[in-house]
Amino acid sequence: MNPTLFTLAWRETIRSAYWGKSLATNIGLGFLALYFSASFLVLGFAIPEILTKDFPDTDPVSKFNSILLAYLGIDLIVRQLMQKLPTVSFKPLLLQNIRRRTIADYLMIRSVFNFFNVLPFFLLIPVTIKLVAETHSGTATAAWFLSLLILIFSNHFLAIYLKWRFNEAEYGFFILLAALAGLFAVNHFGIIDLSGGLGKLLDWVLVNPALSIGFLLLPVLFYLLNVQFLLSRMFVNLVSGKQKAEQVRDYSWLDKLGETGRFIALELRLIWRNKRPRSVAMMTVLMLAYGLLIYRTEPGKPAPEFIFILGGIIIVGMFSISYGQFFPAWHSNYFSMLMCQRLKMKQFLQSFYMLVTVVSVACYFLSLPYAFIHTKIIYTHLSMLFYNLGVNIPLLFFIGLYSKKRLDLNQSSVMNYQGVGAAQWLVGLPMFLIPIGLFYLFKLPFGIVGAYAALGVLGLTGILLHPVIIRFFARKYLKQKHQLIKNYKNS
Amino acid sequence: MIQIQHLIKAYNKEIVLNIPELTIRQGEIFGLVGNNGAGKTTLFNLILDLITASKGEVISKGIRVRESEDWKDFTGAFIDETFLIGYLTAEEYFGFIAGLRRLTKAETTAFLEKYTDFFNGEILGKKKFIRDFSKGNQKKVGIVAALMGKPEIVVLDEPFANLDPSSQYKLRKLIKDFAAENGTTFLISDHTLDNIADVSTRLIILEKGHIVRDVPKTETTLQEIEAFFKPVVEADVF
Repeated sequence: MNPTLFTLAWRETIRSAYWGKSLATNIGLGFLALYFSASFLVLGFAIPEILTKDFPDTDPVSKFNSILLAYLGIDLIVRQLMQKLPTVSFKPLLLQNIRRRTIADYLMIRSVFNFFNVLPFFLLIPVTIKLVAETHSGTATAAWFLSLLILIFSNHFLAIYLKWRFNEAEYGFFILLAALAGLFAVNHFGIIDLSGGLGKLLDWVLVNPALSIGFLLLPVLFYLLNVQFLLSRMFVNLVSGKQKAEQVRDYSWLDKLGETGRFIALELRLIWRNKRPRSVAMMTVLMLAYGLLIYRTEPGKPAPEFIFILGGIIIVGMFSISYGQFFPAWHSNYFSMLMCQRLKMKQFLQSFYMLVTVVSVACYFLSLPYAFIHTKIIYTHLSMLFYNLGVNIPLLFFIGLYSKKRLDLNQSSVMNYQGVGAAQWLVGLPMFLIPIGLFYLFKLPFGIVGAYAALGVLGLTGILLHPVIIRFFARKYLKQKHQLIKNYKNS
Repeated sequence: MIQIQHLIKAYNKEIVLNIPELTIRQGEIFGLVGNNGAGKTTLFNLILDLITASKGEVISKGIRVRESEDWKDFTGAFIDETFLIGYLTAEEYFGFIAGLRRLTKAETTAFLEKYTDFFNGEILGKKKFIRDFSKGNQKKVGIVAALMGKPEIVVLDEPFANLDPSSQYKLRKLIKDFAAENGTTFLISDHTLDNIADVSTRLIILEKGHIVRDVPKTETTLQEIEAFFKPVVEADVF
């Protein structure tokens, strides 16, 4: 392996202007990593007991084997959302005396060093020692462990391959979700016992350890798929974007809304014509279904109240939070141009506020069918709608004042993997946690309904005061403009 | 039109621009030349209030650019391709700028019509986003957008770079005609000496942040600045 490539990657990281400024993000990510490692470790030690207690009739090892497929499926989805793709700015390398294949191999090897490949072992090692080694010979245990290790890494290479593909065609993720749901259904209704199939295979490995070598085929296959994909993309013309006639949609009807309308038209074009904001918009639509996951009722067990806060914020406010966390960095490419134009900072903020309001209100009405599950959703979501517009959006304006990183929208989607990692989810946390905290605070004096009302009133106050708030932030942004221009230039 | 007083820009105590005094009069086509790092773009960024000065100030038509934003009403600028919005088509971009500069649709169409020759049929009516344009065509979009709404001051940083030879000649004429017609003050920098010597009415050479020459254009200006930048050839010993 070529060590200069690793040096290059290291320098790229530590010399980016963003490095070091993102200390809070790194601490947050480290905290999450610790939390998940600890949870997996605890779970790993608990699993042998759970299995023997809950399934006294079956062998706990083969029970464990038979649920592994579900784990791998979930792992695949989580990796899609959280795992970062390895990148290298390969353009300067293309003219150097270095083979394309070397660059591809390098990328793949670097991708392996990822937290998601370490995490499963926190669970797996205790299970191997406490459950498998107890009842099986050393060779059998080792072969079993090896098979799982191979499976985890083949999942890794599959995930990366899919992620690369989905990056070019974002609907791919939804196809994957649908496919996995389909497989789950096939499995669940007993048409084909997929999960049990893998379980039996692993049971055999325990009997014939040599079988474990067979699993090696999977990672090799996925690795080669990746390399073949990378080789086909490592050309300059794909970096600078395809020259094709674009579908140009007409937004001129928005001009009727006057000055603000012109900016809303700009925002709409921004969302529609760039991959990253477009996937934010698609995520909003997807999140409308989130309620199906968290609002399920189990007889005799009322859902805890924070579920309704969380659901409300996510379903109604997903767009404002995920789109708003990069305000005004979406416009970072041409920010200095905007600052040379006769434009009122107030209108700039106002148009964002209006866009978010319209989308949030629409999401509120679209989420009303959940009232069939819990009638109270009519008012819990309304309260969260007000809270989101009145409190979270000013909060986002505040965060935006200190935005550091330029978003490169101009790059075409190929090889542009900016912001597809776990860090981008982190900024949203206070948006969820603060209202949950406030809710339990208000609950003490006012009761449950009173607490929702209090959150709603808090939000409503913010909404009524929004002209003042926007004027305030317009002044702040004007003061901050040189700093923002500098940040965007240097990142 | 533009007054500069005791203007100093320093990064970490290293002075990159130091102009004790400079006045640019109305209608001047002010040409700025200098090697890389001479401070040309820094000067333009200070005039446009995109960076803050370490000391001193820029007064544009009586307005301190640091304190009021009213200079934006009469200033057009194109510094580099980050002034363009990549995900718009050329028409949409012109429409957006026209809106900010209070031009009606009819005025915009009439304005753009004048530049049909400069655009060479490669800009308008293409279903193509600006990010997919060639560098030269991107530059054309930026330059013409900077002229929208008849600004009194136009700042162009290296407008000739990346343009093909015929377009360079067209741009020379375009700038001169626009200035003659509207009395516009142009601030232009470039590395191609004959282009800048041709369009300018006044030439300034910047070196390491200082003004080292400030001359009105005459017949011999081009030779003078060429002589300034030419490396000194060692005398032949034999």
